[in-house]
Amino acid sequence: MKPRSPPVLLLAGGLAGVLFLVLWPLAWRSDFILYIATLVLQFSIGACSLQLIIRTGHISLSHAAFAGIGGYASVLLVKSAGWPWHFALIGAILAPAAFAALIGPVLLRLSGKYFVLVTFLFGELMRFVATDWQGLTGGSNGIFEIPKPYPAMRDPLNYYWLSLGFSVVCVGLCVRIMRSEIGRAMDAMRESEKLTECAGVPAFRIKVLIFVIACGLAGVQGSLNAHMNNVITPGNFGPLESLNLVVMNVIGGMTNMGGALLGTVFLVALPELLRGYVEWQRVIYGVILIVVMAFLPGGLVELWGRLRGLVTGEAVRGTAVVTDET
Amino acid sequence: MNFTDLLTPVLFGQILLDGLSVSSIYILIALGFTLLFGIMRVVNFAHGEFAMLGGFALYCLWGQFKLPFIVAVPLAGLVVAAGSLVLEQTVFRFFYQKMFQSMIGLLGLSTVMMYSAMILWGEQERQIPPAFTDTLEFGASLFGENLLLPVDRLVMFGISLTTLAAFYLLIMHTRIGLAMRAAAEDVEVAEAMGIRTRVVYRQAFAVAIFMTAIAGALYGQIYFLSFQMGDQPLLKAFIVVILGGMGSIPGAALGGLILGMGEVFLSTLFGPSVSNFVSFGGVIAILICRPWGLLGKPE
Repeated sequence: MKPRSPPVLLLAGGLAGVLFLVLWPLAWRSDFILYIATLVLQFSIGACSLQLIIRTGHISLSHAAFAGIGGYASVLLVKSAGWPWHFALIGAILAPAAFAALIGPVLLRLSGKYFVLVTFLFGELMRFVATDWQGLTGGSNGIFEIPKPYPAMRDPLNYYWLSLGFSVVCVGLCVRIMRSEIGRAMDAMRESEKLTECAGVPAFRIKVLIFVIACGLAGVQGSLNAHMNNVITPGNFGPLESLNLVVMNVIGGMTNMGGALLGTVFLVALPELLRGYVEWQRVIYGVILIVVMAFLPGGLVELWGRLRGLVTGEAVRGTAVVTDET
Repeated sequence: MNFTDLLTPVLFGQILLDGLSVSSIYILIALGFTLLFGIMRVVNFAHGEFAMLGGFALYCLWGQFKLPFIVAVPLAGLVVAAGSLVLEQTVFRFFYQKMFQSMIGLLGLSTVMMYSAMILWGEQERQIPPAFTDTLEFGASLFGENLLLPVDRLVMFGISLTTLAAFYLLIMHTRIGLAMRAAAEDVEVAEAMGIRTRVVYRQAFAVAIFMTAIAGALYGQIYFLSFQMGDQPLLKAFIVVILGGMGSIPGAALGGLILGMGEVFLSTLFGPSVSNFVSFGGVIAILICRPWGLLGKPE
């Protein structure tokens, strides 16, 4: 196991980073960049919470569906039930978490590839439900004219700060979990589940717990995103969106929260900056995916390791979690 | 509503006929998928896009060059299979025997193919003109009422049945098929016996894509043709293959029959969304209780 950087350094680095993120829009304001930054912050919640699931050894292709459940819950509570947003947000966390607690114990018994398949189908099923249950979800047009959480949030800068706050809390929680005893147990489970259980770790209970927490956090992303865009549609639900979250982790090397954040910046900002060429951007995205999976299954982190290995002459083993044994 | 009143013998016969023709297309798509998985351990998330290419090939050959339909369909399959060998060399080769990498990498290939098709052929939906417009009527003595059978569907059924029979002969009665079965059983032992697995992989890939493209061509003619049409065939292949068991050829046949028949029955009697929910729910249930499928073997 690799040595962990001392908590003081990590904390100081994190604080400096957050401080910079809070202050830069005051120095230089551009609404377009601000919009992209807000999106990145929202997606960082999804990407980091998905990494929790990935690090128990399961790759979920329905994470966006859980974010969507949270989004619809929040929107419906605000629009139909008239709740203030901060209460609706609690619903947006509890709804996907409850759902995850319901299906998690069943799904998580499946081994790696079957879990991928079943979550892929599950994501499609969720999209069907959102499209067909017209009375509740507005069908394929979705729900629009969603109010902002608070009147002050009409200013994009305020919305940016709101998203930043939630992102820091959620990503911080993910990092904290990974550095705790549970996180160490998760890393051990991925290496050898049976051995870990023999050491007295309740592997399956931890898996379910992590799945529930991660899906609850995804709901935060769903709520923040829906209220920013003023609209929510079944399109935000599908397996392709979930794949996007997986790819953010793939680019970052799968077992590294910093890598996941890097992947989020890359995958959210790139499409927004290439807006005028949607088709080409999708083609480039696919090519990157093929190349990374074929030659660099450990992501950009592995590329960095290999480059360093070239310089120092050390051989570096790939860090891919996605192996064929799982 | 009383379903015994609704389900007259005529309707039953009609559903049976429709179900058979839909099933045969599903089986073709799923066989390609299961072949790639069984032999190369590749989960082809780009499968639907090969079906789309088949649709566009048929659109060119039959709709624009006006070749006879019976020639155009297999030719479309051949053209797509031959062209796809380029992708075999540049992409698929790197994912053989790497199941997980293949899932994500080939999802990437799927977006590449889908959006390249959009750049090439545009966004609009097209219609492949029907090959035959006559309808056969028969069975009045048996049911009291006539069964309607569009010749179009009959020809499609014939084409897919012929392809399936050819595939069966290839797999069971030729040396190529024997080599494929051996490689599917155990790659290392097959190599030790002198089978060149690289060649076997390429042949299996071409056969799988050939069947998929033919199925896609027929699918595109029944429904519509667009750069996004690959979604549905991929989902069908998925469901069929999981039902029958990943990598199992008889499983794909059984799964295709169950899905095709079930879909036609349910959507005629209860509407398409019910049939969608039942097929998804059924497959998720199967994955949970018996992940290796009806005819697959547990690992």
